[in-house]
Amino acid sequence: MTDLSRRVFLKQVALAGAGLQAGLLSPGLASASTAPKMSIAKYRTSPAESEGVAEEAARLTRQVIKDLGGMSRFVSKGDVVWVKPNIAWDRTPEQAGNTNPDVVATVIRMCYEAGAKQVMVGDNPCNAAERTYPNSRIQPAAEKAGARVVQLDKRKFKKMALNGKALKDWEMYTDMMEVDTFINVPIAKHHGLAGATLGMKNLMGVCGGSRNRFHQDLTNVLPDLAAFVKPKLIILDGIRVLPVNGPRGGNLDDVKRKDTMVAGVDQVAIDAFGATLLGMEPKKIAHIVEAANRGLGTMDYTSLSPAESLV
Amino acid sequence: MARSTRKVSAIVWLRRCIQTLCLLLFFYLFLQTAYHPINRTGGPVALFFELDPLVLAATWLAGAPVPLTLLFSLGTLGVSIFFGRWFCGWVCPLGTLHQMMTHVRGGSTASRLNRAVYSPRQRWKYLVLIGLLAGTLTGLNLIGWVDPFSLLYRSLATAIFPAFNSGSHALFAWLYESDPGLGSMRVTRVSEPVYEVLRRYLLVEGRPQYYWGILIGLVFGGILALNLWRHRFWCRYICPLGALLGLAGKNPLLRLKKDQEACNDCRLCVAVCPAGANPDGPSDRSDAWKPAECFFCWNCESVCPKQAISFEFAVPSREHS
Amino acid sequence: MKKWSDNVMWRWLLSFFRPGKGPRINLGRRNVLTAGALGVGAACLCRVHPQASGRVFNPALIRPPGAVDEQEFLSRCIRCGECMKVCPTNAIQPAGLEAGIKGMWTPVLNMNVGYCEFDCTLCGQVCPTDAIRELPLEEKQKIKIGQSFVDKNRCLPYASARPCIVCEEHCPTPTKAIWVEEIEVTNASGQKVLVQQPHVDPELCVGCGICQNKCPIKDQSGIYVTSVGETRNSENQMLL
Repeated sequence: MTDLSRRVFLKQVALAGAGLQAGLLSPGLASASTAPKMSIAKYRTSPAESEGVAEEAARLTRQVIKDLGGMSRFVSKGDVVWVKPNIAWDRTPEQAGNTNPDVVATVIRMCYEAGAKQVMVGDNPCNAAERTYPNSRIQPAAEKAGARVVQLDKRKFKKMALNGKALKDWEMYTDMMEVDTFINVPIAKHHGLAGATLGMKNLMGVCGGSRNRFHQDLTNVLPDLAAFVKPKLIILDGIRVLPVNGPRGGNLDDVKRKDTMVAGVDQVAIDAFGATLLGMEPKKIAHIVEAANRGLGTMDYTSLSPAESLV
Repeated sequence: MARSTRKVSAIVWLRRCIQTLCLLLFFYLFLQTAYHPINRTGGPVALFFELDPLVLAATWLAGAPVPLTLLFSLGTLGVSIFFGRWFCGWVCPLGTLHQMMTHVRGGSTASRLNRAVYSPRQRWKYLVLIGLLAGTLTGLNLIGWVDPFSLLYRSLATAIFPAFNSGSHALFAWLYESDPGLGSMRVTRVSEPVYEVLRRYLLVEGRPQYYWGILIGLVFGGILALNLWRHRFWCRYICPLGALLGLAGKNPLLRLKKDQEACNDCRLCVAVCPAGANPDGPSDRSDAWKPAECFFCWNCESVCPKQAISFEFAVPSREHS
Repeated sequence: MKKWSDNVMWRWLLSFFRPGKGPRINLGRRNVLTAGALGVGAACLCRVHPQASGRVFNPALIRPPGAVDEQEFLSRCIRCGECMKVCPTNAIQPAGLEAGIKGMWTPVLNMNVGYCEFDCTLCGQVCPTDAIRELPLEEKQKIKIGQSFVDKNRCLPYASARPCIVCEEHCPTPTKAIWVEEIEVTNASGQKVLVQQPHVDPELCVGCGICQNKCPIKDQSGIYVTSVGETRNSENQMLL
C-alpha cells in the first residue's frame, strides 16, 4: 500500500510539475470556493543532518502554504495568531519528537508577512516546559522569528463545554481558543495506543487538567477536540518522522526522513495523509475513522485534489 | 528611649552593609539553586556550606571522605583565631536575621538590658557542640539539624520560599480572576506586568511543596521569635558553629579595651551588645569582656557616650586595664 | 627603641603557649562529660532500629541517584535541603521516619509528588558533602534507585479492561523498561476488547518513578516504585 501510494504520488507530481506555478495556485485566481483544501510538498533531495534541513524546512513550509493560496488566506492584517507546534517532549529536533523548529519559525514569519499583529507560540507539554521549549530548539527559533513564546499560565485554563462523545467539558487554554487564527503545526509520529499522533492528537496540547485519562477513549476524545478547536490551518511536519517507538522516541535509528510536508484545512485528510507517511493505513487508525464518520473531514485525501509540489 | 544621640560609627554602618550583602548573597544563591535550561545550576550555590567549618568537622569526624571544596572553611577558622566570632557578627546570614528580629522589639535601655546581658547559660552551646561531635564520632551525625546554614537553607527551601511562592501565585491568580478596578482602570494593568517580572526573577512555576515543611517553618519561626526574649538567642545559647568559632577565637588578637576612668556605668554598651559579651566588664576579672562570645560588631564602641570603649591589637595580660 | 619582643603579634602568638589570665570558657567538667555521654548514648540507641544494620529495608526509602550507601549517607548528609530545592520535579522531600528518626529530614524521593528526571544530575551537583555524588549524565542514567511494580488490582487494563499505557508512554529508558502485552479481555458490557497490559522489565527499570507519577489513578498509582534493586545497596536486591 505504501509503495502504491508513493508511486501514485510521484506520478501525480510528474504530471503536475510543469503547471505548478500557474492555474489553481496563483493567489489572484484562487477564490474561497475553489481554493485548494490541501497541499503537499516534497523535497527533491534529503539534505544531510542537520545543516541542510533548516533550509529544507523553510522552503517546504513556504511552498506548502503558497500552494494553498498564501498565508493571507488564513491570517488577516491585525490578527492575533497562535501557532501550536508539538513541544511535548524533551527531545532534540533530530530525534523527531517535536515539530521541526525551522518549520515553526517559517510559519511565524509568514504570519507576520501577512500582517499579523502578534504571533504567539506555545504548547502544554508532557515533559517540563522549561526543558522541552529550549531543547526542542523551538523557543529560540520562534523568538528569533519575532513570536512571543508562551509557557502556559495555569490561571488561563478554563472549563469549556465541548459537548463531545467522550468529553462533556474540559479545561482548555483560553488564550489559544480566543485568538483570531489558530494554526496547528504537528509532526507525524507513531503512537502506542492511538496508532499515530498527527494533527488531531496534537490538539491535546490545548487541554489542561488530567489529560492522562484521555487514553481510556482516545478514539472519541480526539475527534471531540478536533470538533471543538477547529484549527483554521493545519501544517504537518513530515520532514523527519517517527514510524516506530513514538510518541517519545529517543533513538536516532527510529527516525525516518520523509522530506515531505502537507498543509490544509481538512483535519481528517491531513491526518490520513500523515498516517501514510508513517507507513500506516488511515482506516486502521480508529480516531481518524471516527472523525471521518462524524463528518469532520474526509479520509480520502486524494478526493480533495491536493496541490502537489516538488521543491 | 534613652539612646545616645551620637552618630553611629562608620564601622557599624560598614558591618550592616556587609551583613546585608551576605544575607542577600545567601538568598541569591538560594534562588540560583534551580535548573537553568542546561543541566547546571546558576553558580556556586553551596558556597556558604563550603565556608562552614562545622560542616567540615562533621564530615571529617564521621569518617567520610571530605570534598575538597569544604576546605575553604579552614579560612573561616583561621580568621577566627585572629578576630574571634567576626563571622557571627559580619557574615552569618542566620545571625543577621536574628539581629534584625532582635531590633523588632525596642524599649528602654533598662528593658533591653535584661534581654542583652550575659548569662552563664551561654555555655550551653559548647555542650551542644560537644554532644554533636561525640555523636558524630560514634556514628550518629545530627549536626545537620543544628548547623545554622542547614537550618536556614532547609527552612527557606521547604517552608519559607514555598509559602511565599504559592502565596504570590495565589494573589495574582485572585487578581486575575476577580479583576478589581474602576471602569477602564483595572488593577491587572499594573499587577500583570509586575507578575511577569516576579515570575522571571523570583517565583517558580512548579509550586514546590514539601512534607514536614509546616513543622520546619514553625520551628524556624519559633527560633526567630526567641530573639524577642533574649537577644540573638540562637547565637548565644544553641549555635554549635558559634561555639566552634568561639573556641577557635577565644584568644583573639583584636581586643576590647575599656577606659575605666571614662566609663560612667551607663551600661548602654551592654544594652546594645547582641552577643552578651559583657563589654562593660573590667578587663582583668572573671566578669570581664568575653572574647569567645564577642561578635566584634562595634555596637558598644559606637554607642558609648564617653568613648570609653575601643578595639585594638593587644594581648591579655595583668597590666591590661 | 622598641624591642622586637614587644611586638604585639609575637606576644599574641606566645600567649597561646602561656596560659595567662583573662576570661576562660568555664564549662565544668561534669557538663562536658554529660554532653559527650549523651551524644555517644544517642548514637548507641539509634543502632536499635532494625534498619540500622541493613537487616530490613524500607520500600519508601528511595534516595537520589548518586547517593552513597545508607550508613555512610546518614553520616554525610547535613540535611541542608539543597537537593530538595534544586530537584526540578519537586520529587526530593524531607524524610519522616523512613530512615529511622536519625534520618529525619534527609532527602527521599516521593514519586507521587515528582519523579527523577532522566536527563538531570542536579542533586549531585549541589550536595555540599557528597552524600549525593555528582555523576556524569551517562553514569547517572545507569543507576537504579528502585524498582517499579504494576499493581494489577488497580492498573486499568488489568482491573477494568480499559485502555491506558500512559506509563509505557513516559518510560524514559533508551529501551523502555515497560513493555505491553496486547491481550483480549472481556469488559463490563461483556464485549471482547483488546487492551495493552503493561509489564516491567526489572533489568531495564531504573526506578525513576515517572510511571507512578503520571498514572491516571491519582490517589494510589497502578504502578509504583519501591527501593529494592537500588544500585548503591548490594543487600537490597531481588534479581539473581
